[in-house]
Amino acid sequence: MSTRWGTRLVLAAALALVAGEVGAQMAELRVVRVREKGPFRDPAAAFWKDAPATPVALLPQAMTLPNNLKPAVQSLQAKAVHDGKWLALLLEWPDATRSDRIVVDQFGDQVAIEFPAEFKKDALPSPMMGNPGGRVEIWQWRAAFQQDLERGRPQVTNDLYPNAHADVYPDELLRAIDARPYMGAVGVDNLITHADKSPVLEQLAEGWGSLTIQPDDQRADGKGVWADGTWRVVVTHPLAGGEGHVGFAPGGESAVAFAVWDGGSREVGPRKAWSTWAALKLAE
Amino acid sequence: MPKVYNWQIGREMDYPYEGARPKKQFAMLFDTNKCIACQTCTVACKTTWTPGRGQEYMFWNNVETKPYGYYPLGWDVKILEQHGVQDVGGPVYKGKTLFESAPSGERILGYLPEDLDYAHPNVGEDDSFGDMQQGELLQIPHMQWMYYLPRICNHCTYPACLASCPRMSIYKREEDGIVLLDQTRCRGYRECVKGCPYKKTFFNPITRVSEKCIGCYPAVEGGRQTQCTITCIGKIRLQGFIGKPDEIREDNPIDYIVRVAKIACPLYPQFGLEPNTYYIPPVHVPPRYLVQMFGAGVERAIAGYRKAADDEKLLGALLLFGATPMIIHHYKVEAGVSIGFDEKGGELVRVPLREAIHVRAAFDEQHQAYRTNIT
Repeated sequence: MSTRWGTRLVLAAALALVAGEVGAQMAELRVVRVREKGPFRDPAAAFWKDAPATPVALLPQAMTLPNNLKPAVQSLQAKAVHDGKWLALLLEWPDATRSDRIVVDQFGDQVAIEFPAEFKKDALPSPMMGNPGGRVEIWQWRAAFQQDLERGRPQVTNDLYPNAHADVYPDELLRAIDARPYMGAVGVDNLITHADKSPVLEQLAEGWGSLTIQPDDQRADGKGVWADGTWRVVVTHPLAGGEGHVGFAPGGESAVAFAVWDGGSREVGPRKAWSTWAALKLAE
Repeated sequence: MPKVYNWQIGREMDYPYEGARPKKQFAMLFDTNKCIACQTCTVACKTTWTPGRGQEYMFWNNVETKPYGYYPLGWDVKILEQHGVQDVGGPVYKGKTLFESAPSGERILGYLPEDLDYAHPNVGEDDSFGDMQQGELLQIPHMQWMYYLPRICNHCTYPACLASCPRMSIYKREEDGIVLLDQTRCRGYRECVKGCPYKKTFFNPITRVSEKCIGCYPAVEGGRQTQCTITCIGKIRLQGFIGKPDEIREDNPIDYIVRVAKIACPLYPQFGLEPNTYYIPPVHVPPRYLVQMFGAGVERAIAGYRKAADDEKLLGALLLFGATPMIIHHYKVEAGVSIGFDEKGGELVRVPLREAIHVRAAFDEQHQAYRTNIT
């Protein structure tokens, strides 16, 4: 690792300490208890009216390369509810275009919710994807995954390029096991490739570049609806955490941070808008 | 940013990671004077590695016509224009590399091709440069020119794809210098597609992650040359390993051609990636064009190539192109024969420096028949 990245890591760790110390001044996201039973997937459900809305300021990611100093989204609005078993967050932000077609020069809309993997009030990890020893858990919703679930995984010849023709593919000739080497990341079960069950990925990180999907712990679910220039996305997850994973309890607290990518502005990876920690307080 | 030594530009340069040369470095030689753009290499690669879903447009190996052919469209002229005019003359490059030209907020100067840039892999095919004036067709040599440029991933010593990836999903193998993209780790950010000036990483819209030429590593691990090399009907390619800048072995045909005879040049060395595919430049193309593409050594390379018949060792190395499917690690020229050896010294192939000429009588006495030139 070059000295430049090293310097930036130290700087991020310092910022993380600052973030921990100013806890008293953090924005607060109150998680209200609702009578309806989870999992909650409907962004239009009536109970969301009872949850207080917390505005979250988003900042350009300017700490690590590459970056984007002018992200398209400057703020989002967050609401949260629980029923004693499930936690759900509703995130709303303006986006003039729905971006869920993924080809080389087109990117998808995304939103991510971040928690400290282990909440310690006085020692929060860096809000910027954690730091070595300061692990964070990240639930990321993707518009392209939403599209996979609602309209099916896009195919080259029918969906992405309607006029394209292909004569034959290896998976049409070979047994499934033998076709896997011809399927790239799909053949090695990289979960980034498509969604079968949920539009939300559960992941862990300990600093930039370390974000890793947890194949055995994919319990987050949700749904995003784009209408009238606004994304409304619900992410829902059991309150109880698994071994080494984030967990919540009624009356408990934690911290939460967010990131948004506008696919139409070619935002992807480190080119994003992100927030610092907000306090997360669960009602009894 | 660390400083690394790039022998192709004769100086140190900035690179995001410390320089660490592999134990062996995958390398490929192309004799552009022999390529006829039959695309056998392209098809061999395509059927071997990229027949799957989402790979329809993807050519890890392609052959384009220069100066007007590109895949993807305008790949080199677009980055050259962004890079601006650089001083490419002289053994020590005085301009900036793409790493040194990185704009604020970026690791390297690059651009992301448009989707449609990949839609016309044969654009400009066989188009020659310059208008044909009245009567010019009667002159030899013609003033008009074009040539074929076969391309694979350069398996660069300082890969831009590797440097661009914020997740370190791309790595360079210590054992052979082949650059691979981890299909389990990639998240499809396309920073490598943007960063590679040769545009030899590709985005797969079905798997939603990027893919690239793998240097036929399963073959190379078994001592075999790549598919594109062994299927080349023009025998224009030789694949093997190039020595480190301070370890030139005269009995390695690649070292001899690139480092000793110096008749093969890297592609766009001014980008600063130290690419490891080397081109014997086309002898009929104006040097002014070739210098910006192959660097300052191009005129010397052409002069050396024209006199190859006078240098037995060079001739012997050139005759090993396409002579065996196996990787030639050592060679020697002995009694008018070039002999190629594998890594352990086992003999792979013998090629005579000069083919024997048999002159047969026009009339075949035994069969009481006149011979024609096809019997």
